[in-house]
Amino acid sequence: MATFELYRRSTIGMCLTETLDDMVQNGTLSPELAFQVLVQFDKSMTEALETKVKSKVTIKPYYAGSFPSSQQYVGHLHTYRFCDNVWTFILQDAMFKNEDAQETVGRVKIVACDSKLLTQ
Amino acid sequence: MADATSPVYINVIEDVINKVRDEFINNGGPGETVLYELQGLWETKMMQAGAICGTMERSSANKLPVPGGPITPVHDLNVPYEGTEEYETPTAEMLFPPTPMQTPMQTPLPGSAQTPLPGNAQTPLPGSVDNSSMYNIPTGSSDYPTPVSDAGGSTDGKAGRPSPFMQPPTWMHQRPPLSVDVNVAYVEGRDEVDRGTSHQALTQDFFMPSGKRKREDFAPKYNNGGFIPQQDGAGDSASEVSQVSQGNDPLGRCDTITTKNKEILARVSRSYLKIPQVDGPTPDPYDDVLSTPNIYNYQGVANEDYNIANTPAPNDLLASTPAVVSQNDVADDDDDDEPLNEDDDDDEDLDDVDQGEELNTQHLVLAQFDKVTRTKSKWKCILKDGIMHINNKDILFNKATGEFDF
Repeated sequence: MATFELYRRSTIGMCLTETLDDMVQNGTLSPELAFQVLVQFDKSMTEALETKVKSKVTIKPYYAGSFPSSQQYVGHLHTYRFCDNVWTFILQDAMFKNEDAQETVGRVKIVACDSKLLTQ
Repeated sequence: MADATSPVYINVIEDVINKVRDEFINNGGPGETVLYELQGLWETKMMQAGAICGTMERSSANKLPVPGGPITPVHDLNVPYEGTEEYETPTAEMLFPPTPMQTPMQTPLPGSAQTPLPGNAQTPLPGSVDNSSMYNIPTGSSDYPTPVSDAGGSTDGKAGRPSPFMQPPTWMHQRPPLSVDVNVAYVEGRDEVDRGTSHQALTQDFFMPSGKRKREDFAPKYNNGGFIPQQDGAGDSASEVSQVSQGNDPLGRCDTITTKNKEILARVSRSYLKIPQVDGPTPDPYDDVLSTPNIYNYQGVANEDYNIANTPAPNDLLASTPAVVSQNDVADDDDDDEPLNEDDDDDEDLDDVDQGEELNTQHLVLAQFDKVTRTKSKWKCILKDGIMHINNKDILFNKATGEFDF
């Protein structure tokens, strides 16, 4: 099964990576075993997102002025990049909205791998 | 959002631990205890990051205290730091707290004055007088040593350094006459109280000779005396012309001083004579660490002054000079320099922010893309199985659609 190392950059992945680094430096863990744990994390994280998460999110720019009628977008796509089957977007003034809540952020980076690579 | 995310994260942790258990136990692995250590550390880090909630199924007892502990102390530490906005002053305050603790041990007299001293004494020194530069460096590093020296004996050659503690009391006592001048210079030069103290420190320098003669009589003078000897050594060699200088500024400033000893004034004046020479070179090379601290302090450029003042190494020659220059130049320099500094800081901050955001965007979305399309400037993307870290929250999504203009 193919996996992405993408999710290692998430909070949970970074915490695991730091933990493994500490344990390898302490000598309590071999680098090989630490790597195996990371690979297992890639699999488990991908599987959990597929099976445990049902939330849907919409990403849109939000209007700058207090009156939407002004139709002035502050939010926009600042940067787009497609390299090695990975899309990278940098959005300015984006609004993330799901069924529970919405968050607005001044600048956000989106890194997305090609989902078809996993199914192949 | 964390409510929905936390169970998923816990599920992932357990899944990973369970699936690597064989690797840990078999084939000469480190054993199950190491596996649990891994899980414990991992969950602890997650809780510290706020990615998972406190309710853990297992081993939560051990982990809960850990995250709680580090977090609370962090807040405490942050509060004091934020309180001190000024660059130099905070450092001085930071350094001082330990000193007051030690100082009480030294002598009863300084003890009462000590608390006020640390704040006042150091600030004036760095900013105002050349000596201040001397003081600053020694004070920063020597804060701890100074108490020791005092305990051992103020008469020691290094007594001048301990003086920072002592000094504040001196100008406190002498304020009435000096205070008027100080305030004027102070207002013009800078709003900060520290600067005012620095001016006073200058006056102290004049007093210093008196301190030499009678260290024991006056505690504050003690310190001054300690400082003075160094300057005097250089100043004595300078010339006899000092008398003229005495008539000018020093007398007006140090009316009280005159009462003490004319000889002292003469010495001071000598130091002044030396000073002008020093000043000439100093203004030209701002780069020189030694010269810069003095100039900046007087000019009243707050930010740059602090940084420079700390860095520069102490110079004996410079110490005397700054006092004269400072008072004369302060008013003019302050107006010119302050606006420039403010602008510089703003620009730097903006640049840093922009670079930081582009290089490392704190708000991050990690996902897989099903489809990305563009029509003219309008982009649409369909993402799935993503982890978003936005506004310090972790949000998971099964599917996401985005529309934005380029």
